[in-house]
Amino acid sequence: MSALVSLRSQRNWRNAGVLVPGFLLLTAAPALADRLERHFKVEPKAVVTIHNPTGMVTVRAWTKSEVMVVAQRATDRVEVDAEQTGNRVEVVTRQIADNSSPADLKADFEISVPQDTELQIHDDSGGVNVSNVQGDMNVETIAADVTIEDVGGYLTVKTVDGSLQCARCAGRIEASSISGNFRFIDLRSYNVRAQTSEGNISFNGQFLPEGIYQLKNYSGVIDVKFSPADSFDLSARSLKGRVNNQLTLTPSAHHHVASRVGNALFGSMNTGRAKVELSSFDGTINILKRD
Amino acid sequence: MGMAGCNEFVNRLEQWLEGERPAESAAHLQGCPSCRGLMEDLDSIQTIARSMETDAAPPERVWTSVRARLEQEGLIQGETHGWAGGLRSWLGGVFSPVPRPALAGAYLVALVAVGAALSIPGYRQVNRLSAPAFSASLDSAEHATLAMGDPDPAIAASLEKNLAIVDNYIALCEKSVQEEPESEDARDFLYDAYEQKADLLAEIAERGDGR
Repeated sequence: MSALVSLRSQRNWRNAGVLVPGFLLLTAAPALADRLERHFKVEPKAVVTIHNPTGMVTVRAWTKSEVMVVAQRATDRVEVDAEQTGNRVEVVTRQIADNSSPADLKADFEISVPQDTELQIHDDSGGVNVSNVQGDMNVETIAADVTIEDVGGYLTVKTVDGSLQCARCAGRIEASSISGNFRFIDLRSYNVRAQTSEGNISFNGQFLPEGIYQLKNYSGVIDVKFSPADSFDLSARSLKGRVNNQLTLTPSAHHHVASRVGNALFGSMNTGRAKVELSSFDGTINILKRD
Repeated sequence: MGMAGCNEFVNRLEQWLEGERPAESAAHLQGCPSCRGLMEDLDSIQTIARSMETDAAPPERVWTSVRARLEQEGLIQGETHGWAGGLRSWLGGVFSPVPRPALAGAYLVALVAVGAALSIPGYRQVNRLSAPAFSASLDSAEHATLAMGDPDPAIAASLEKNLAIVDNYIALCEKSVQEEPESEDARDFLYDAYEQKADLLAEIAERGDGR
């Protein structure tokens, strides 16, 4: 099964104004704005890839066995291709005119997918929002911020400048950035590995039995919130910075006493079922009680 | 030594890397300082890689960048093949025993060496590497990569800003390792910073090569 649609051809495109009268103003603007809506029937565990240099990419899960791509390009200096090959849907934004400004190349996407879809998203600048998708996903950006909510698959996020906010994520998480901030909210993940050089990391979530949580930065602040019922082994070190602790820890299996050596802190809460490793080069690590 | 000689040698590089020594290639190498320099660079990479341990491979994006550059230079068309494929395969084999932290520096060396290889038909300038010269290799790779530029000024600014951030951490970590040579933590941070820089340069190179 193969279908190819291109903004350049215009055959499969309808101006926004045709669909919704209120959009007529948009099409009357100097920068021609077009709206694409395409539907692709897919089998379970489909793969959707999106490659968009600039713009917002929003992906939501729905109950239908199809992928719906709605795209809005800023000008006709870019084309958007949406192609299905087997159980894979690829969406690509391409520049088709020389001497275009970055703003000319912007395209925004709203994509609906079955819950078990695997996502691969590359968006240099703009933003990426994903919600309720349970398949694995890989997101790469330069400056685009990434917001992910209620997802369950293996999540890898890599940015240069962009921040990551991950709320109620339940699968394994690997996140890396140079200057992006990470914020993990109500996490239910059993394995988290997050590293940012200059960004801050804020972690508020469950520490599941046998779970591994590794948070690392060079500078900036690492805030981790714990509740008295949490059970974990903790290792927190800041080579040149500070470790601030609000918890009462007991000696862990690997240390005879709950110890504080220089800017490092080791110990256990309860039976130490999860493993928490916090490290920073010259940043501050705050081990906080959850409100 | 004429261009044709260099091109012929480069075209037969795959055989050479696999251990074959055609008489024409050997004769050309004898009289061509540029190609001799390239082979010395590749030998240096092999020496560095052999001094390292365990398993890893350069990221796929490095090969993507290299392939894009080769295509841009007109040395290959489409899929990697010929000497470029051979070079990739050879480098892949060379780097297979390299540990992940050390890989960053190593594959930057590879990038520089590939840049040197590319320069033979075009510019006849070969970057010379000495075995422990990771810092110089980083600088060379950075210089070559930044020269590629980026069509989006905002993205270019972001990449350069973050490169400066990583460079700053590398300097701080190198200082820390010098002060505390036994500190595994300091070394880990330094290796991670090298790896970040290598990854960032690969990203810049990939973008500069035609995205």
